[in-house]
Amino acid sequence: MGDGRGNSNSNRPEWLQQYDLIGKIGEGTYGLVFLAKIKANRSKSIAIKKFKQSKDGDGVSPTAIREIMLLREISHENVVKLVNVHINQADMSLYLAFDYAEHDLYEIIRHHRDKVILAINQYTVKSLLWQLLNGLNYLHRQDINWIVHRDLKPSNILVMGEGEEHGVVKIADFGLARIYQAPLKPLAENGVVVTIWYRAPELLLGAKHYTSAVDMWAVGCIFAELLTLKPLFQGQEVKGTPNPFQLDQLDKIFKVLGHPTLEKWPTLVNLPHWQSDVQRIQGHKYDNPALYSVLHMSPKSPAYDLLSKMLEYVLIS
Amino acid sequence: MAANFWISSQYKELLDQEEVDVVHQLDKEKGITLDDFKLIKLHMSNYVARLAQNVKVRQRVVATAITYMRRVYVRRSMTEYDPRLVAPTCLYLASKAEESTVQARLLVFYIKKLYSDEKYKYEIKDILDMEMKVLEALNYYLVVYHPYRSLAQFLQDAGMNDATQLTWGLINDTYKMDLILIHPPHLITLACIYIASVLKDKETTAWFEELRVDMNVVKNIAMEILDYYDGHRSISDERVNTAMSKLAGR
Repeated sequence: MGDGRGNSNSNRPEWLQQYDLIGKIGEGTYGLVFLAKIKANRSKSIAIKKFKQSKDGDGVSPTAIREIMLLREISHENVVKLVNVHINQADMSLYLAFDYAEHDLYEIIRHHRDKVILAINQYTVKSLLWQLLNGLNYLHRQDINWIVHRDLKPSNILVMGEGEEHGVVKIADFGLARIYQAPLKPLAENGVVVTIWYRAPELLLGAKHYTSAVDMWAVGCIFAELLTLKPLFQGQEVKGTPNPFQLDQLDKIFKVLGHPTLEKWPTLVNLPHWQSDVQRIQGHKYDNPALYSVLHMSPKSPAYDLLSKMLEYVLIS
Repeated sequence: MAANFWISSQYKELLDQEEVDVVHQLDKEKGITLDDFKLIKLHMSNYVARLAQNVKVRQRVVATAITYMRRVYVRRSMTEYDPRLVAPTCLYLASKAEESTVQARLLVFYIKKLYSDEKYKYEIKDILDMEMKVLEALNYYLVVYHPYRSLAQFLQDAGMNDATQLTWGLINDTYKMDLILIHPPHLITLACIYIASVLKDKETTAWFEELRVDMNVVKNIAMEILDYYDGHRSISDERVNTAMSKLAGR
């Protein structure tokens, strides 16, 4: 990997000389993403993710550490490929270099909604979903990885542009991902998890010990969004820390899927928000919940069958 | 990887004893012998454990930190990477990797409390700088499998639950050696169980046979642990200081 010897005399550290920087292509809470080409191989594009220096004097952010830690061990055609790590001693910043994927599902969905104004071809949806599940299966498999991604959303599902891997789906952004086996702390203690539109109901209800099922819920939401070009459960986020109760998001879910019942989901009573907010949660009665009508699809179609199983309240193991 | 040692980077990067027992050229020039090298790593393992007690992190974090420290010195010199800085930095990094982050200023506080010696004195900035160098020296491989993981299951299976504490303590002591760089962790676990069974006079031959592991390796690891107990029952501070003083002051 990188030689890391930052050159403080010039603005450009030595390791950066092997790339031609094209420009900034993204920005997140963690830092910036740049597009670059490898000088030795102009046909190859690389996305360089620069991690912000942590401000409170605590070195490399734990998020970056965990992302590197996981990405250095995993390798799968439907998971983003870390090609290099670089460190820049001069400004104490850290860079991850990935194979560049030109597209992501967020952009593909938006393009079809706003430009093409036509649904995504169903064979394309099927292929995207299959590849997403193929990558997720690799991550979840308990005999190999047992990794929960925890932040699946359309913008984190990349699709390769023209080239050898054209159309190949790559799961990206492992900043919130966790090794599920034998964590030292309950997984929920590590802060905010999953963008609220894709957040599983057990998380919204305050579950502390959740499982890979949270990723499957997110896949269900993404699947529906690929079909309708609209987020399935578009709740208003309640801001504030830590982890405020997201009533509107739950309400959006219950409106479509109905209220969960203690009969089907007995452990509901153990979830913090269910106990303390039971009145508010059950404030509205939704008598005629119907996922298929939201999706405009036949309840008998195999796609509907698959989707409704992804959106079950309780994981059937 | 996260759940399967056999496809992990740790398995792929296992080393032979001869590869681990190499004193870096720069350190050799300062008169560091192989014995000094091992002694300093031992002393630094103890240092990490003492610091960890004060900042209150679990044994798994300690074990990961010591593994990082030992891996660093497979490729880097003590002359360029002062062990007195690398040791606490590895604890710092391991605490992040194992999801129980310890603040750098807390480490600095306890370093000052534990050691009045100027040579141990480092500031937050030093630890943060070294953190990046350690990451690089580790080639960004951070997942470590430890012998603790399979302990409970093995003891249960061997009907030796009463030896849990003894074996746990033996495993802790294996980090005073380089065993974790050389052997798959479950074989280290088995070596510790083997020693415990001998100490407790428990017949386990049949149980070990059924496991179908290479008993020669298990016994060799056990011998090395016993050798360690023979040779290091008392390491004098003086010997450590002599070795450390060969590394020039900062």
